[in-house]
Amino acid sequence: MTDLAWLTVAEAAGLLRAKKLSPVEYAKALIDRIERHDGKLNAFLRFTPDLALADALRAEVEILRGAWRGPFHGVPYGLKDIVDYAGLPTTAHSKILRENVAATDAAVTQKLRAAGGVFMGKLSTHEFAIGGPSFDLPWPPARNPWNRDHFCGGSSSGSGAATAAGFLPAAIGTDTGGSVRNPASMCGVAGIKPTYGLVSRRGVLPLAFSLDHVGALTRTVEDNALMLELIAGHDPLDPGSSAHAMGSCTAQLDRGVKGLRIGVIRHFYTRDMKADPEMTAGIEAALRKLADLGAEVREIETAPLSEWVACNRTILTSEAFAVHEKWMRERPEDYGALARERLMAGAFVRAADYVNATRLRRTMTDRFHALFSGIDVAVTASSMDAACRIDDPKAIEFTYARQARAPFNVTGSPALSVPVGFSKAGLPLAMQIVGKPFSEALIYRVAHAYEQATQWVKRRPPVE
Amino acid sequence: MEEHPLTLDEVKSMAAEIGMTRLTNEHLQQLLRATQVARARRAALPVANLGPADEPAHVFRLDGESSR
Repeated sequence: MTDLAWLTVAEAAGLLRAKKLSPVEYAKALIDRIERHDGKLNAFLRFTPDLALADALRAEVEILRGAWRGPFHGVPYGLKDIVDYAGLPTTAHSKILRENVAATDAAVTQKLRAAGGVFMGKLSTHEFAIGGPSFDLPWPPARNPWNRDHFCGGSSSGSGAATAAGFLPAAIGTDTGGSVRNPASMCGVAGIKPTYGLVSRRGVLPLAFSLDHVGALTRTVEDNALMLELIAGHDPLDPGSSAHAMGSCTAQLDRGVKGLRIGVIRHFYTRDMKADPEMTAGIEAALRKLADLGAEVREIETAPLSEWVACNRTILTSEAFAVHEKWMRERPEDYGALARERLMAGAFVRAADYVNATRLRRTMTDRFHALFSGIDVAVTASSMDAACRIDDPKAIEFTYARQARAPFNVTGSPALSVPVGFSKAGLPLAMQIVGKPFSEALIYRVAHAYEQATQWVKRRPPVE
Repeated sequence: MEEHPLTLDEVKSMAAEIGMTRLTNEHLQQLLRATQVARARRAALPVANLGPADEPAHVFRLDGESSR
């Protein structure tokens, strides 16, 4: 039997459906791995092996009875701890919500449970999905499986660390300014921020209502497509939910990139911000690979990164402060220092500035989407740097802002981070593939072609 | 228009006006830094590109059911 820790969702689903793998055996193998190694990585904030075994047993009985529910039946998953699971606290990694027990499941949790998934626990996050990595919270920050002295990105930090470490094949994260794609980039896994409104936010603690997206982190592109197919869909109880039907993400995976037009937003990482040379080299090599595979690659221009970031952060901090104002008045001392300072940035944003940021959002988004009349997908950097040390606050603060993810929270466009290699120090490098709204299937097609043509996905972090 | 740099006393008074009266000196220093960062972001917003009729990204809209 293959090492169960490294099974993909697709592989596991095949074995489980064919009754060649027991869900209980699979869950026990991952439980054992988490118990042995998560003390070094802190990916889990709340590990729930009893719930996992109950889910696994239920899946086993159903599959043996011939009632296979689909690719996630009997497959372990985890939830970032701002996503509700009925009966468990949703803490947002914060002292403030330590006792905040969820009454009901989030929409994505409902979908994963209905699909027969095996819930392994709640995963570490940056406090309230904004303040981290922090050492002044009730739980320690997650660490990078490729080098645990290094940051694993965030805010969906446990989701990135757990999938990269072989604790889980798939995890749910959220993304308001890049929080799925950052840990995906730093941990060397695939992470999607889908089109705004494609996945319901119901039951997910908000950071900024108009920028929040729920997404998936997995080791392979195919698994990411499978997870998105499961969690996407209209939810009338989420006011931001789209009624647009996405269609299959997996049907086109193997069609390759021949003839596709790829626009490179190079100015984000060469002019607006200068990425680390290793990151730039990784992205440029990936673009050459895509060209070798038959894509037509050309450079495109959009607004400068600083304008996108100013727009994102003005909206983000304003909406976030509206959520946090009461606690800032009553319990400011209960925040960690990083979350408190980042959230305080919204305290005195003028109403006119917030409205103007949303007016700019419309014009910038319209112009960005117009670029897709001449291209099929865009490629740019995700992070400008590989993961820095977790114990270096200056490096964390410096690299935190060095990213090109926030533009696509502003536009609501789907954006996927995929690995493009490793630095000389052995840390993952990544690029983003971005599409027009609801073009996730095309993004996955490009990412899958690249993944199949390279070997990055086969590398394993030194967790043992 | 260039704004004068905020002082700690000013930010303390602004915080009190919105009910944030429990902030320690360390918290107020954080609020001061955060507010300066927010002001710098405002300066980076290309508002000169906006025309008077440019609408916000999210406008109030009623669907057919609600508007009846």
